[in-house]
Amino acid sequence: MRLTPRKAVSAFLAVCALTLSLTCVSGCKKAEARKEGEILIGFSSRDLSAEYTAKMSEAIVAYAKTKPGVKLVMVDAQSDVQKQFSQVENFIAQKVDAIILNPCELEASTPAVDRIKAAGIPLVLVNQVTKSAGDSYIGSNDFDAGRIAMEAIAKKLNGQGGVLMLHGIMGTSAQLQREAGAREIFAKYPGLKLVDHQTASWDRAKAMALTENWIQAHKGKFSAIFAHNDEMAMGALLALERAGIKKDVTVIGIDAIAQALTAVKEGRLDATVFQDAVGQGKGSVDAAILLAKKQPCPKETLIPFKLITRDNLSQFLK
Amino acid sequence: MLTLDRNLLHRFGLLLVILFVGLALSLLTDTFLSVANFTNVARQISINGILAVGVTFVLLTAGVDLSLGSVVALSGVACATFAHPGDHSVFVPIAVGLLTGAACGLVNGTLVTLGGVAPFIVTLGMMTIARGLALIFSGGRPVADMSNELTALAGDLFGIPIPVLCFAGVAAAAWFFLRNFRLGRHIYAVGGNENAARAAGVPVEKVKLLAYGLCGLLTGLAGVVLAARITTGQPNAGQAYELDAIAAVVIGGTSLAGGVGTITGTLLGVLLIGVINNGLDLMGVSSYYQAVIKGVIIVGAVWLDRRQARS
Amino acid sequence: MLRALELSKDFGGLTVLHPTSIDFHLGEVHALMGENGAGKSTLMKILAGLYRPNGGQVEWRERQAEFTSPHDALVAGIAMIHQELMPIPDLTVAENITLGSEPCSAFGLIDRPAQLARAKELLSELESDIGPTRLMHTLTVAQTQVVEIAKALGRQADVILMDEPTAALSDHEIAALFRAIARLKARGVAIVYTTHKMDEVFRLADRISVLRDGRLVGTAPASELNPAKLITMMVGRELADVFPVRLPSSNEVLLEVTGLTREPAYRDISFHVCRGEVVALAGLMGAGRTEVVSAIYGLQPASEGRIIFNGTPLAIGSPQDALAAGIGMVTEDRKGLGLIPAIGVGQNITLSALRDFSRGPLIDHTAEAAASHTQMTEFSVKANSPSQPIAQLSGGNQQKALLARCLLGGPELIILDEPTRGIDIGAKAEIYALIQKLARAGKGILLVSSELPEVLSLAHRIVVLRRGSVSATLDAATTDQETVLRHAMPL
Repeated sequence: MRLTPRKAVSAFLAVCALTLSLTCVSGCKKAEARKEGEILIGFSSRDLSAEYTAKMSEAIVAYAKTKPGVKLVMVDAQSDVQKQFSQVENFIAQKVDAIILNPCELEASTPAVDRIKAAGIPLVLVNQVTKSAGDSYIGSNDFDAGRIAMEAIAKKLNGQGGVLMLHGIMGTSAQLQREAGAREIFAKYPGLKLVDHQTASWDRAKAMALTENWIQAHKGKFSAIFAHNDEMAMGALLALERAGIKKDVTVIGIDAIAQALTAVKEGRLDATVFQDAVGQGKGSVDAAILLAKKQPCPKETLIPFKLITRDNLSQFLK
Repeated sequence: MLTLDRNLLHRFGLLLVILFVGLALSLLTDTFLSVANFTNVARQISINGILAVGVTFVLLTAGVDLSLGSVVALSGVACATFAHPGDHSVFVPIAVGLLTGAACGLVNGTLVTLGGVAPFIVTLGMMTIARGLALIFSGGRPVADMSNELTALAGDLFGIPIPVLCFAGVAAAAWFFLRNFRLGRHIYAVGGNENAARAAGVPVEKVKLLAYGLCGLLTGLAGVVLAARITTGQPNAGQAYELDAIAAVVIGGTSLAGGVGTITGTLLGVLLIGVINNGLDLMGVSSYYQAVIKGVIIVGAVWLDRRQARS
Repeated sequence: MLRALELSKDFGGLTVLHPTSIDFHLGEVHALMGENGAGKSTLMKILAGLYRPNGGQVEWRERQAEFTSPHDALVAGIAMIHQELMPIPDLTVAENITLGSEPCSAFGLIDRPAQLARAKELLSELESDIGPTRLMHTLTVAQTQVVEIAKALGRQADVILMDEPTAALSDHEIAALFRAIARLKARGVAIVYTTHKMDEVFRLADRISVLRDGRLVGTAPASELNPAKLITMMVGRELADVFPVRLPSSNEVLLEVTGLTREPAYRDISFHVCRGEVVALAGLMGAGRTEVVSAIYGLQPASEGRIIFNGTPLAIGSPQDALAAGIGMVTEDRKGLGLIPAIGVGQNITLSALRDFSRGPLIDHTAEAAASHTQMTEFSVKANSPSQPIAQLSGGNQQKALLARCLLGGPELIILDEPTRGIDIGAKAEIYALIQKLARAGKGILLVSSELPEVLSLAHRIVVLRRGSVSATLDAATTDQETVLRHAMPL
C-alpha cells in the first residue's frame, strides 16, 4: 500500500479520535469513584458562555469546595433544553444526593424538573423558575430588576421624556419579567413615553446596530435607553458615543457585569442593576446540602437587586 | 453577447429590487433617505460584506463554509487578547486576528482537499471547534480592555467609517483577483467541473486550499473589525453570521453548485439584506414581523431575479 | 401515426427548426439524417415533450397532442433514448431501468424481485449480460447506453425515439440492438432513429428524412437512396473521400511505454509512438484502451511500468505533469472530463495554456482574447462570441473547442480518445484532416477509436488490446478489418 496524503490524513484523524475517546473513557471511570458518606451534588448550568451565569456557576463550584464531605459535579447545557434534559437524566442515573438546576427556560425546562421530582431527588432551582416548582428556589425577582432600572430612569428624567427599550431574547422569563417591571413604571409616570422597543437578543453587536438605526429614526425624540442586560446596554452606549449624543441620553442595563461596572466608574454608563451572582450561587449550595441531609430548607430565598450608580459603586468593586 | 446581456439583466433585476425597496422606505419613513443613514447602512453591512466576499470564493468552488460565525468569534477573541493597552503595537492584534482566521480556513481547505471530507461536514466541525476554542481562550467571558488604537479601527477616516473602507478594499481586491489572476479563473473552472478542470491541468487542490484560506483570512478580518466595533472579543459573537453571508452571495446570483457568480452580485446581495435590516428598524416593525418580512423579501428577490434571468 | 405538422423552434432569437412536417408510421424505422445542428435532436425533443414548439403541432393517433413534459409523452406511448445519457449514478441498473414505472406490491412498496426480473428480461432482449444489481456508475459508457435502451423498451411505448443509440456501442452490441429493433418493428412499434453511421441507415431504415440547417430537405424510402446521394442531400454538396492521404512517419521515437500495468484494468502494455506517426489503440469496449491512455496523461496513473518521453523517463502523477512534459489529451468523456459548462468558449479553450497568456500571476486579457479568437477561427468553432457558455454549443463545436484547448499549449504528443464520437460527417472530415496535419508537423498521435474504417485509414500502426493486454501490433497498410477484429475478440 502506498501512503498517499489522503490516506495519511485519514489515518492521523483515526488515531486522534481513538486517543480522544480512550482518554474520555478513562476519565469518566475516575469520576465515578465515590467515597462513602460523601454528599454528591449535580449542577447543570444554563450557559457558561454568558457572563452572569459563568460568574454564578464559578461561585457555586468554589463554594462547594469549601464544604467538607461535599462533592459537586458541574455540566454546561449551552442554552440547549434537550441537552440539559439528558444531563438531568444522567444525574438521576448516577443517583446524586441533590441537584442544582439553572433552567434554560420557563416552559421548556419544566419536564426536566418533573423528571427529577419523580425520581425523588431533592432539587434546588437557581436564577430561573420553571412551571413546576422545585424543593427550593434561590434567585432574584426579574420583575424587580425591570422596576428598579426604569424607576432610576424616571427619576433622572423627572418623569418626562421618550424612552427606548432593548429586549432580551423574546419569550425568556428574564425578558418577560424585566419588561413587565418596566411597564409598571411607565404606568406610574404618564409623562414617560415608550418611543420604540425591539429585541437585540442579549447581543452587543445587534444592540449597537439597532441603536444606530434608532438614532436615525428617532433623533431628538428620546432621552433614555433601558436595556434588558448590560451587554446590550454597552452596545447602545457605543452607538450613542460614536454619534456624539451620549450626553443627552441616559443608559441603564441590568446584571452588573465587569465592563458595565468599569463604564459606570468612568461615568459613561449611568447605572446598572446588580444581581448578586455570588449570593445566588452560595445560597443554592447551602440549600442543596440541607435538602440532601433531609433537613428543613426555605421554599424560596430571594436575593435582592440593587441599583449601582457612580455614588455607591465602591461597595460592589472587589 | 448573449451571456453579457444575461449578466446585465441579472444585475439589473437585483438592482431593481433594491431600488424598489429603497423607494418604498423613502416614502414610508422620513429618515431613510439621508447621508447620515446611508453611512449608517454602509457601516452595518461592512462585516457581513467582508464575510460574503470571502465565502463567495468558497461557494464558487462548489464548496460551502458554515464556520464563518464561529471563526469571527475566535478571531475577535484572539485579537482582543493581544490588544490590551500598552502590551503590543496595534499591528500585533490585527495580525493575530487575521492569522487565526486564515489558519481556520486552511484547516478547512486541507481536510476538504487532502482528507476528501465533504465541505459541509468539515466546516460544520470547524463551526463547533472554533466556538469551543473561543470559549476556552476567553474563559467564557468577553475579553475587554482593548487599546484605543485598535478600537479606533471602528472610527472614521476622512469622514468614512474604517469598516466601510475595509469592505470596499476587500471587495475591489476580490473583484480584481477573480477577473485578472490565473488562480481566479481556476476557481471558476474548479467550481464549474472539477474533473474537467483537473484534466485540463488546473491544480485543483491548490485552488480549493486557496479559496478556503482566503475565506478564512477575510473571516479573521471581520472578527477584528467586529471586536473593534463592540470594543470586546466576544466568544459568543457572530451567531449565525454564516447564514446572512451565504444568503447575500446566493441573492447575488452565485450558484450553490459552483462555477457561476460575481463579486458585484455579492455586493448587491449584501446591500439588499442591509437595507432591509435598516429599513425595518427605522419603521419600528416588531421583531416577530421583521423575521417574516426579511425572509419573504429574500426569497422573493431571488425568485424574481431568476425568473427575469430565465425569460 | 405520429405526425409533425409545421413544427418550428427558436432559441433566443435563433431559429434551429424552421416549420417542418414529417409523418412517422407504426411498424416502420424512420431515420432522421443531417449534420450536427441540422435540427434532428430538436425535432425529436419536441416529439418527446422535452421542448415546446414555437409553431405548429404534434398529431398523435389522429388527434392534436399537447405534450407539456416528457411524462405526458410517455403516458401517451412515446419514449426517447437520449444522446447525452441521463442515468442516476448511485442507483442500481434495475432501479434505473424501472425508474418511474417501478413494479409495486401492496401498500405501494417496491416489489424488488419483480423489479429485478423485469430488468433482467429487458436486458436479455438486448442480449446483454449486465448484472441488474450493479450500480450505474460502475458501468462503462457503452453499458450505460444499453441500460438506457432497455429503459425505453420497458415503457411498452408505441413510438421509440432513438438519438444516436449506437454512438458508444461495440459491434456485437449494435448487432443485438438491431435484432431488438427488428422485433419491435414486427410488433408494430414506430422507431425514429438518428445516426452518423452510413452503413446503419441502410441496414435499418425503411424511410429516411434529411434535415439541413433546420429545414427538411426531403423524405424518401431507403430503397431509393444510396450513401452518395444521402451525403449530398445532407451536406448540400458532393463530398470527396473524407480520409486524407497518409504520409510516412519518421523513425524518431517520441513516446515509449514499457510494462504499463494497473490491475485489473490492464497489464504489461508496451508500445511506442514515433514523431509524425499515428498509432491507434483498437479493441472492444472494456478492453482497457481508455484506461491506458488515461495513465499516460496522468488522469489515473499506472501502478507499474515506465513511460519514456523524448528520451527521458517521466513520472506522471497528474495531467499537470503530462502537460508540462508536452503531452496533451482530448478525452472520450466530453461532459465529465472536458467541458467547463458555464464559462465561455474562449475561456474553455485557453484554460490549459493560460500561463502562456499571463504576466506573472496576472492574465493578459488582450493576449488571451487574441489566442482564443485565433483558435476559434482555425478550428472553425461556431459560436456567437468567445464569451458564449460552451454548454450552449453543438457537440461537434464543443469537440473542436476541446481540440483547440489541447493544441493551444503546443504538445508534442496528442492523445485523442474517440475524437469523432457523436459528431457529424463534416466535422469528422475536419478532424481527420487535422490529425494528418499534426502528424505532418512531426507530432505523435495516439488515437483511440471504435470505428475501424477510421483506424485503418488514419493510423500507421494499430495496437490491438484484448482484455487489458496487447494481443497484436499491426501495420495498418497491410491489415484489414477482419484481422483487427480477430485479435480484438475474446478467445
